[in-house]
Amino acid sequence: MTAAPPHGQREAPSDDPRVQLDEAAGVFEPVPPYPPRTEREAEFYTLGDGEMFINMGPQHPSTHGVLRIVLKLDGEVVVDLDPVLGYLHRGVEKLCENADYHHSIAYLDPLEYISSLFCEWPGVLAFEKLLDVQVPRRAEYIRVLSTELNRILSHSMFIGWMALDLGGLTPILYGLIERDEIAEMLAALTGQRLLYNYLRIGGVNGDLNHEFMSRLGDWMSRATTQIEANLGLLNENEIFVRRMRGLGVMDRETAFRMAVTGPSLRATGVPLDFRRAHPYSVFPELEFDIPTRDEGDCLARYLVRIDEIKQSLRIIDQCIHNMPDGPVMAKLPRLLRPRPGRAYAAVEGPRGQYAAYVVSDGTDQPFRMRIHDPSFVHLQSVGVLMPGHLIADAMAVMASLDPIMGGVDK
Amino acid sequence: MTAVARSWGRLTLAGKILFTVIPILLLLTAGLVLVVVLFGKPVVDFLAANLWLVRFLVAATAVLLMSVPTAFLIIYMEMKVIALMNLRIGPDRVGPFGSLLSVVHGLKVLMKEDFSPTGSDRLVFTLAPVVVYMSAVMSLLVLPFAPGLFGADINIGLLYLFAVGGLTVVGLLMAGWSSFNKYSLLGGLRSAAQVVSYEIPLTLSVVGLLILTGTMSLNQISLNQAGWFTNWYVFQQPLGALIFFIAATAEGNRTPFDLTEADSEIVAGFATEYSGMRFGFFFFAEYVNVFIISGLFVALFLGGWNAPIAWPEAWAIHLTFDPGSTGMGLLFALLLIPPILILALAAPFYVGRSSLPWWQALIIGFVLFNVLAIVVVGGWAFISLDWVAGLLWFLGKTYVFVFTFVWMRGTLPRVRIDQLMGFAWKWLLPASLLNLFVTALAVIVMNPR
Repeated sequence: MTAAPPHGQREAPSDDPRVQLDEAAGVFEPVPPYPPRTEREAEFYTLGDGEMFINMGPQHPSTHGVLRIVLKLDGEVVVDLDPVLGYLHRGVEKLCENADYHHSIAYLDPLEYISSLFCEWPGVLAFEKLLDVQVPRRAEYIRVLSTELNRILSHSMFIGWMALDLGGLTPILYGLIERDEIAEMLAALTGQRLLYNYLRIGGVNGDLNHEFMSRLGDWMSRATTQIEANLGLLNENEIFVRRMRGLGVMDRETAFRMAVTGPSLRATGVPLDFRRAHPYSVFPELEFDIPTRDEGDCLARYLVRIDEIKQSLRIIDQCIHNMPDGPVMAKLPRLLRPRPGRAYAAVEGPRGQYAAYVVSDGTDQPFRMRIHDPSFVHLQSVGVLMPGHLIADAMAVMASLDPIMGGVDK
Repeated sequence: MTAVARSWGRLTLAGKILFTVIPILLLLTAGLVLVVVLFGKPVVDFLAANLWLVRFLVAATAVLLMSVPTAFLIIYMEMKVIALMNLRIGPDRVGPFGSLLSVVHGLKVLMKEDFSPTGSDRLVFTLAPVVVYMSAVMSLLVLPFAPGLFGADINIGLLYLFAVGGLTVVGLLMAGWSSFNKYSLLGGLRSAAQVVSYEIPLTLSVVGLLILTGTMSLNQISLNQAGWFTNWYVFQQPLGALIFFIAATAEGNRTPFDLTEADSEIVAGFATEYSGMRFGFFFFAEYVNVFIISGLFVALFLGGWNAPIAWPEAWAIHLTFDPGSTGMGLLFALLLIPPILILALAAPFYVGRSSLPWWQALIIGFVLFNVLAIVVVGGWAFISLDWVAGLLWFLGKTYVFVFTFVWMRGTLPRVRIDQLMGFAWKWLLPASLLNLFVTALAVIVMNPR
């Protein structure tokens, strides 16, 4: 009979290479605990002269969640990097395949917890295409109204994060004020502050109510001046503008090659907006511009987002004025069994293209659900943009792409 | 033996500390009494013969003791002011308006585990916060707080300040090196590069001022600026003052030059691996440094302890009240005036508001009496004691600048390391040389030999 180890003592960690101090080198190196599997890995994890690894994340304060980046540094200059993903992987696609069509909408919500409605929308659109449902016009207008509010919420948080990664403490809290007002508004409409779960196949869950409308009117009456006032702290700040200008320049070819969409693409001068390019919902009826910039640097990405806030306010105005009467849900059976087939839908979100590809096999559950998330796609361009910059700028470059880890790891 | 050990094991941490500290204190007291009894006469004679030693010991103790409350005050100020700028409430739980929160923070870091990471250079790791803190406290020694109220009036006071202030970077570098962490190392190296670069414009920016004053004693520089506020050197050396302010911000590692502990880039810089009281020392030293650079700016450019206006002699109020001259009357006054005044102040509240219980009226009376006493005694001291007025002016001006540093922290983002170095070498250094040159030229033209 072997004695149990005394309380509070555990077996010493055997020879797990991850927790061992490399006595010969005298350092902890963030190398993977296995021999290199690819040529790229072998190349990356071999240090050149005067280079060192630095392990950034997953608990680093400015990696926007649980991203881990192994940086290869020469002094403070980033030479190369290796992003390590998967710390927040939940298997959303697989979860959707094991839930019926109604239930899988709830799984789409927490993908990007800062723009939940945009994560729901492509899934819902794809399901509607599969089922061939006609959505009532009032429901379409409500969808546009609520998602544009969500876009402003996301962009105002982006502005705060951008400033925070450059060392400014205050703008994030001004952004949070904006975010809180919109979150309260959407909570009145949908019942939730963060994960709305509001869109339904064939409409939306619940009509506009009095509290939402009064909050919306109250906010809209001062939104423009309030946002302008908050931005004054950054747009006229010499340090901020000087750091952002010419930083992380992405040219048009790189953007296409890296499949960049959304504000990051429009900052390179390409006026691609899925609301215009592949119109869905009631966007053909609405007037709005597609703001673009030609520089392709961090400042351009930041300014494009600010212009987008103004366009979103325009759209919200039109939605309020043109809101038709009628039902907000199409008549549908409880249990949905679409015909076997496949459908694809994409929407223009605050970060770029949110898309879903669904394959149906005739049962009440999707046979395959593929989610395209802009954060994940944009994160790969970090490998092109970061090298050559200092660590401080590497964080700013990442912040300017505005990735959300929930969407990256799915 | 086992019984003793078991009893010892049952004690809480506070109990263990008390049980060790109290006997030591008792022994020390007994020893002191013994020394005084046995060698009292020679010791007193020795100290009387060497008053400078007494003065130095008192000043050093006072400076050491004042550094901690100063840091507490500035930490609280920073928390509260930045919170208000952020449209937050900020600390509001501990003490009135949360004013005791920084004290509680201090107690917290005192009680936390004193942790040093595997692979760290233990000795250097422990010494680094001490070096940083001591350099901050040693700088306080030469700051002229008021006429006659300073640790030491050294004739190279300014040089001493720069030299001792430069020790900070040694401590930061030690911390960065010994932590066995690359973030710490980057922070330490950044601080070395930054402080060494900004030391040059900082020193050169005051050389113009030194040409005007002809002395390096901070006390003498303050004395030179007596009279109306137009005598302050900021009006003769505006460029020098600006350069000094910018370079001092960088020297104190404050926003927008807080690259050494840039939390969004290198986690916490040199302090990444520090916890407990070792981190507390870094934390306190940072805020003492803010006080020092503000106080230095005030002493050099804003007239030090001098009031902005010089009262004409005819307006001066001479309160030559000597409390000792009243004899026994003083005793009676001290015994009788407080209770009578408290009752007199409480009476209207008790009579006027019948719902108020008598003890609450008494509390109101007591508080009012204290306010009154502080106003009367403070006003008397302000008028008749030079150093009280000087101290108030000095601290007032200094805290305006402390507020400015906090304000900048709430407003500005951080510059990049290459922008930081470029700014120092391409702009500040030529500007300070220009300032020096123009000042020298002006002095030669205006005062030809």
